[in-house]
Amino acid sequence: MKVVLLTKAAVPNVTAVRIDPKTGTLVREGVPLMINPWDRDAAEFALRLKDRYGGTVMALSMAPPAGKDALESLMGMGVDEAVLVSDRVYAGADTLATAYTLAKAIEKFAPDFDVVVAGEETTDSTTAHVGAQVASWLGIPYIYYAIDAEVNGRSLLVRRYLEDEGLIETYEIDMPVLVSVQKGSQVPRDISLVRKLEAKGRVKTFSNSDLGLPAECVGLRGSPTIVAKVFEAKLPQRKGELFEGPPDEAARWLAAKLREVGVV
Amino acid sequence: MSQQNICPEWPEIRREEYRGVYVYAEHDGNSLKDVSLELIGKARQLAVDLDGAEVAAIIIGGTDAMARELVETGADRVIRIVGEGLETYNPVRYSMAIAQVLDKYRPEIVLIGGTKRGRELAAYIANTLKTGITADCTELEIDKASRDLIAIRPTFGGNVLAGIRCPQRRPQMASVRPGVFPKPSRDPTRRGEVISERVDVQDGRMRLVAVERKVERDVADLPPVEKADVVVVGGRGLGSADGFHLLVELARALNGTIGASLMAVRAGWAPHTRQVGQTGKTIRPRVYIGVGVSGAVQHIVGMLESKVIIAINTDRNAPIFRYVDYGVVGDYKEIIPRLIELVKAAPKPTPTEKQPV
Repeated sequence: MKVVLLTKAAVPNVTAVRIDPKTGTLVREGVPLMINPWDRDAAEFALRLKDRYGGTVMALSMAPPAGKDALESLMGMGVDEAVLVSDRVYAGADTLATAYTLAKAIEKFAPDFDVVVAGEETTDSTTAHVGAQVASWLGIPYIYYAIDAEVNGRSLLVRRYLEDEGLIETYEIDMPVLVSVQKGSQVPRDISLVRKLEAKGRVKTFSNSDLGLPAECVGLRGSPTIVAKVFEAKLPQRKGELFEGPPDEAARWLAAKLREVGVV
Repeated sequence: MSQQNICPEWPEIRREEYRGVYVYAEHDGNSLKDVSLELIGKARQLAVDLDGAEVAAIIIGGTDAMARELVETGADRVIRIVGEGLETYNPVRYSMAIAQVLDKYRPEIVLIGGTKRGRELAAYIANTLKTGITADCTELEIDKASRDLIAIRPTFGGNVLAGIRCPQRRPQMASVRPGVFPKPSRDPTRRGEVISERVDVQDGRMRLVAVERKVERDVADLPPVEKADVVVVGGRGLGSADGFHLLVELARALNGTIGASLMAVRAGWAPHTRQVGQTGKTIRPRVYIGVGVSGAVQHIVGMLESKVIIAINTDRNAPIFRYVDYGVVGDYKEIIPRLIELVKAAPKPTPTEKQPV
């Protein structure tokens, strides 16, 4: 079977992103880029399908050239080939334009795919949109929060966990299908450093002149949403009273505060 | 911008044809999800800034009682979608059915509760309509001059808020997690229209074949974490599952409930349903009491709107102390048993109305 693994190969380490107080814009310079951590669950899910049913896994990412390293890491996990689509015209894409670009890349580089596997969400924007949007652009069925899957003829039996309802549902879905993998549901295998080294130079990079997508459908121009403003999350004013002392007194102090608040 | 500069994949639309604020009302067959009612309340507020635009709820199946509750909570109109293949939940069919109805009624804003299922549907619906969607909004505002929705959401782990607009496309879509907005009270005198909308979604490509309940033992028979005035939240600093017993006792004494940080859930000390934070529930109780919770920003965004924040932690440098009204540096194992005695000994307070925050 042919599996396409979607990945966001260069997400900023979120704890390092700050706002420039003068310009009100995000300071991304010097912020380390990394693979979206939840995509390693997706990679494990994709590789398990390959382990059990044979075939190949192709990783696909739309990212700046720095994304190459993450794709090499995925090859170090056992992914067979990796495609990076990277172009300045893709910059500023929202999730709809990102999904459009990825869907078109899938149609071009893996038209005979059976399963597209995606991570639940990214750590930087946490929308969980792109999986469903890629499925929509491709016109294929999709499922979120998958925990495992098995092949049954021409369909995939997918078990998924709905945390907020405490339910595990099993769907039988005709392939081709997009499966988004519940974060934390897999135990991702290690990256083999030998294999990662072997992957050097094997990531195929394509620009928009290869994909030939209309400029008005990609990047900022192909994005219905725009970021109108960014600002630092402002914290509500808090009293900030700290007590440090023997446990007896601490308990009495807290009880008094709870009484003031009206819950005791 | 003229049409030739717009992606040819996007159908041509006329913005001014789109009016009204619609909410997708999710239910489990027995009752509506609270978040759907919370969004009806928000939709009513937005409608004020849109010259009294109509507020409508879209519900798949549902009951007469649900339709009535939606009207009494603030919907002017309830559109009940019926049709073959919609008896049980199915992401593709549900998304397509909702998209078809939205395409017919053309609201300017669509709000969807950010439950697991809601998040699954929202982006597919938006993509079907080739419009923009903003996930997990924490505030929604209207720019009156343009009638644009400004959807505010935390990004980059909650350090930063972004205001997102969708100036060219309609409807403007947004998802909101449960508990972000208050649930409005019901007004039994409100009247509204209920319309049945038959939708034909022929798509047999995916079939639900089994449903099982995942057995995850709860720490105690206490109310859900988002439904109590007082929430005692345990973190990694508790050191063990046993620590939760003490917290349960305190929660009972305060007529409250129990919550947990991501680390406490990962350690298996509490079920997922009690997790507070970015990947769990957003809560806004009258009193939040964090015990052994370090205060990672992902946790803070889920409790920041609590009226009063209290923390107990042995580490005086724990980040959570930056957010507290009252903080105690010390060992909860010594403090909480004494606190429980004092609480139990106190005369019971007269019950007060839960104040809207």
